[in-house]
Amino acid sequence: MTNKILLVDDDEAISENLSAFLSRSGFLVDTAANGQQALNAIQNSPPDIVIMDVLMPVMDGRQALRQLRNDENWIPVILLTQIGESTERAMALEEGADDYLNKPFDPHELVARIKAVLRRAKQGQPPLSSAWKLTSGDLSIDRKANRVMMGDALVNLTPKAFALLEYLMTHPDEVISRERLLDAVWGWDYPIGTRAVDTRIAELRAALGDNASQPIFIETLPGVGYQFIHEIRAD
Amino acid sequence: MKLKTYWYFLIPALTGLLIAVVLNFTSIPNPIVYLRADLGTFLFLVGLAVSGISWIVRAVSLRITSIRETAREEALHDRRSFLSLLDHELKNPLTAIMAGLANLNDGTQQEALRSVETQVQRMSRLVADLRKLSDLETRPIETSTINLPTLLKEVFTLAQDRAGDDRGLTLTIPQAPWPLPEIQGDRDLLFLAIHNVIDNAIKYTQPGDTIELRAREEGSHVRIEIADTGPGIPQNEIDKVWGELFRGAGARGVPGSGLGLALVQAIIRRHGGTTSIQSQVDKGTSVILSLPIQAVTEL
Repeated sequence: MTNKILLVDDDEAISENLSAFLSRSGFLVDTAANGQQALNAIQNSPPDIVIMDVLMPVMDGRQALRQLRNDENWIPVILLTQIGESTERAMALEEGADDYLNKPFDPHELVARIKAVLRRAKQGQPPLSSAWKLTSGDLSIDRKANRVMMGDALVNLTPKAFALLEYLMTHPDEVISRERLLDAVWGWDYPIGTRAVDTRIAELRAALGDNASQPIFIETLPGVGYQFIHEIRAD
Repeated sequence: MKLKTYWYFLIPALTGLLIAVVLNFTSIPNPIVYLRADLGTFLFLVGLAVSGISWIVRAVSLRITSIRETAREEALHDRRSFLSLLDHELKNPLTAIMAGLANLNDGTQQEALRSVETQVQRMSRLVADLRKLSDLETRPIETSTINLPTLLKEVFTLAQDRAGDDRGLTLTIPQAPWPLPEIQGDRDLLFLAIHNVIDNAIKYTQPGDTIELRAREEGSHVRIEIADTGPGIPQNEIDKVWGELFRGAGARGVPGSGLGLALVQAIIRRHGGTTSIQSQVDKGTSVILSLPIQAVTEL
């Protein structure tokens, strides 16, 4: 089945070039130039996924997304912006986007994200990324209180390690490269920083009592990245 | 209506001047007034006058400092908003170009396309660096206790990997009379700062040159120094190397965005520290990062 995408961006250069690329990648593409047009398009002919910019005239992407979620519409949405800081992350959680991608991005990366979100999305259900609490076996994280529990015991994590765990848990069926983790969690992407990711993953594993050679939660895929492998439930 | 402070001093003075002019140049009687006082009272009045004058001088100098400070902050703020705007305005065209390039990737003219792609990636990195720089001024810093010897060893190992065997790289961390103190700060940012400086040293030196990374406690600060026997920086460029997008005459042909040292300075400043540079052409360069041992409260 061909998936239908609604691409929302007020910059014509982007919507033209990107929709051509997405069509060539096997999707059916509709475009809209602002949040209001997007809401109308979603109502008239619902797409399988929405790719939406944030800064747009008439109605911006955040507003449109909030309205969708208020109406209990859980259509998958990828927002084209960055969420680095913790305040932005809390806001993103309330917005309920399925994923975020920062401009400028490699269009192949967008296609990979679209496929992952479509694979993960369950018809008519809120995405993991907008759940306040996530549970995986004995591990549970409370994203509002920034608290991690292992069984009954509180796990102490630094804010970065928490953000890392949160990102891995909300993208469970994807192998996530170190560069992408840097971009998503640190907000930056710099070549030397990949070591910083490894340090934090080691810290996270030690705190969770996870063994790198026989992992329960976080698996290393040599040369590729990390993946959260245990089953996850949204509470 | 609120009067400017100087009017409180000028109004009495101008009123006195006006009356003096009137008395001197009209026929109104202008008698001579004698003041007599005992030494005690006289000295008391002199003391009072000196206090008044020094109070005025101090108030004026404080006001000047505060005006200068505000101007400096405004300039800094303007520059950061400019960087952030620039970042924003460059993002969209870059996104469109990248999508356009992906569409063209159909097997023809591969080489030309790859060259354009390389340049687009270069611009993307520049935009990312600009974002880092504007972010650094505002984002909260995650502080933790940092074991400096461990951090320095990590940076050093990475530098060794990058430099290979043909440069003499050494790391000196003191053990006596006591080891380096722990400091408070954002580990990832400090790693990036020290790495950027040592990476510059590697980029600008030749095989056979020496690069030394050393650290020592100096009063209430830790001084981290990265010295090299590279080409050095001309005197007229030394003050400019910390500026955004500045690239010296010797930097032509060496890859880089001209933002590396600006980032270093922004990171060290956020930690309440200072940066300085000493250099002589054809002899070498020494970059000094000085960080307070006690945490700076406004981190």
